[in-house]
Amino acid sequence: MSNGIPLAEARARYSPDADIGPLPDLADTDTLLNAYHPDHLRGSLVNLVVGANAGDSCQRELAELLQAEAFIDEADLAGTPVSDVDVLVIGGGGAGCAAALMAAEKGARVLLATKLRLGDSNTVMAEGGIQAAIEAGDSIQQHIQDTLRGGHHAGDPALVAAMAGDGPDVLRWLIRLGMQFEQTSGGDLHTRRAGGMSTARLTHCRDYTGLEMMRVLREAVIQHRSIEVWEQSPVVELLSNEHGQKCVGAVLTSLLDDRLRIVRTRSVILATGGLGRLHLNGFPTSNHLGATGDGLVLAYRLGARLREMDSFQYHPTGLLHPSHLAGKLVTEGVRAAGALLVNGVGRRFVDELLPRDMVCAAILRECAEGRGIRVDERHVGVWLDTPRLERAQPGLLEKQFPNLMSRTRVSCVDPRYTPLLVHPTLHYQNGGVVIDTNGATTVPGLYAVGEVAGGIHGRNRIMGNALLEIISFGRRAGIAATANRDRGPKKVTLEHVNRMRRALTLAGMPMSRRAPQVLPPYAAGGVWSR
Amino acid sequence: MHSAENDGEQHQSVKLTINGLPVSADTGMTLVEAAWQGGVPRVTSVGCMEGVCGSCRIMLRRGKQVTVGLACQTFAAEGIEAVFLPPASAPQHHYEIDDFKDGWDIHARFQDIFPEASRCRHCHGCDYACPKGIKVENGVAQAAAGRYRDAGETFFECVMCELCDVACPELIAPAHVGLFSRRITAHFHLRPPNLINRLEELRKERSGSSIIESDEE
Repeated sequence: MSNGIPLAEARARYSPDADIGPLPDLADTDTLLNAYHPDHLRGSLVNLVVGANAGDSCQRELAELLQAEAFIDEADLAGTPVSDVDVLVIGGGGAGCAAALMAAEKGARVLLATKLRLGDSNTVMAEGGIQAAIEAGDSIQQHIQDTLRGGHHAGDPALVAAMAGDGPDVLRWLIRLGMQFEQTSGGDLHTRRAGGMSTARLTHCRDYTGLEMMRVLREAVIQHRSIEVWEQSPVVELLSNEHGQKCVGAVLTSLLDDRLRIVRTRSVILATGGLGRLHLNGFPTSNHLGATGDGLVLAYRLGARLREMDSFQYHPTGLLHPSHLAGKLVTEGVRAAGALLVNGVGRRFVDELLPRDMVCAAILRECAEGRGIRVDERHVGVWLDTPRLERAQPGLLEKQFPNLMSRTRVSCVDPRYTPLLVHPTLHYQNGGVVIDTNGATTVPGLYAVGEVAGGIHGRNRIMGNALLEIISFGRRAGIAATANRDRGPKKVTLEHVNRMRRALTLAGMPMSRRAPQVLPPYAAGGVWSR
Repeated sequence: MHSAENDGEQHQSVKLTINGLPVSADTGMTLVEAAWQGGVPRVTSVGCMEGVCGSCRIMLRRGKQVTVGLACQTFAAEGIEAVFLPPASAPQHHYEIDDFKDGWDIHARFQDIFPEASRCRHCHGCDYACPKGIKVENGVAQAAAGRYRDAGETFFECVMCELCDVACPELIAPAHVGLFSRRITAHFHLRPPNLINRLEELRKERSGSSIIESDEE
């Protein structure tokens, strides 16, 4: 029996001028996280049995995929057409495009393969902004500290320092490519302070930062003479050398004709993004359709080490309502601009600019303890008080958040007059493939950049570091992958697949499930049936 | 405003056609959700489902009216017919932004790259095609007149669905004209003092530390 205040009653009670009370003291944050954060739900975690992380804790749905059977074996490769390139980039979001551009700039022949359309990614949906320490009162050191603190000190300081140090130059590189940013009247880049930041550091292009970045990167990739792009071409397996110890290519299929293709290469850069579409713990997600964790599965089968596979970010303000936008984000920028969270009894309950995991846990506590707003049995949320923000700063929503306004307009909701009903949504994979500062994984020839990689955000990412990470590490991996000038593969095999199969058999694991997932089941109709 | 808001309870069941197949759905569903629920096979052009990636391009017939749009922004309705369009082909116009060394000749370069842009015949096809309500034709005219900053601003909400490119009988490729305008504006004119100062500080630190290192050697 779900509890909470019925929507109609909460709406009737709501007023943008009502007294919402003082900010209550947050009890011990660890207790709050342990009790309410979805990572700590009972039954959410298992220990991996095989592979480089055997014995480590992992989210249950992900563990099933990491320890699943492959789609192909050697027999499938006979007669398959082969292409040779210097660098293969898998994934057509921001990280993949940055890696491809940098590799091409360094002289590599690059093939970029993407599961959907070039640019279909979480990058294009990122709204809030990109962090870089450029204000006079800020420093690279402060950016590093905020990132490590936000991640509960689980991040790798070397990776964080590399990313934060790249920040200003990443902005310069993006501007050179033709990306626009919001400016102050004096011409400075406009910055905001968002959750977990000690000072204003978030640069942005209104609330279309990711779209602006992605359309510029996409155009630059399409127009580049040395980059070939294969769209609708998911990777079904990586290829290894005869010892199964080095990545030497990949096997791709096509959603259009279902035919396999082999790509042989010296370096593979995984830029496949996250896994929101696995709907961990049954949560809705803000992610795009292709975010099914394919890169993790492929890398793990080839022997790469992963980290923090038990830590995911649930963004505090996913829309609960209207239903077709369920799980879609209201950018943290709205809270950074001053919007407050209010529960069903009209009270403020948390500092809105705490790190995302704490705000998320606080919202889930309100819902669990009956102070949420109930749409139906399964849908309970809290108000994001946008009308109050509009009263305080008239015109702000329309001027700075055109994306939010245009999305809600489609369903005749006007956040200037109606508060938005929000609930945490599965947003980001905090961990991922272990990398060094070049984006190199523990497997030679295999690089990982962007959300698929781990170690930067620790156990919680703060806003604006995702867009920075994809460009910072995308460029680093593009350069490093091109610098690899060995003679290339003598032999391409599926030795690593055989190795994993033996390990699964020895461990008595079920072999019925196959991975990578490629598309969520509800969208795979007639497209993906392997 | 409030009365029009969909509350989850008032949805009606409707029958429509997607890719030639009959589908039942309810009115709160987008055409993407309707296609999935109706088991329409091979719907591969779906991305963000919130109207920013421009992938789910459809042609739509309502009675005698035929339009184009995005499936994730279009709700199921009785009797409509929708067809998911194939992805756009690669653009015909080629340029690399690093090829531009001098801002003074940019207008001449623009006319080389997009010679069709000055031949707009004002048919409004692009304006009708745009799912974001961008004044596309006006944006093209601004670019053709060398007003790239204004043109870029006109195209601010462009999601690169390229439906305007398909609609243009003169093959102008308005979406790419708009993106060119935005990129040129940033590439030549965006020089933010706070960023430049920080880059300069970091450069000095680096050269300073390399001097110290070389002293030690």
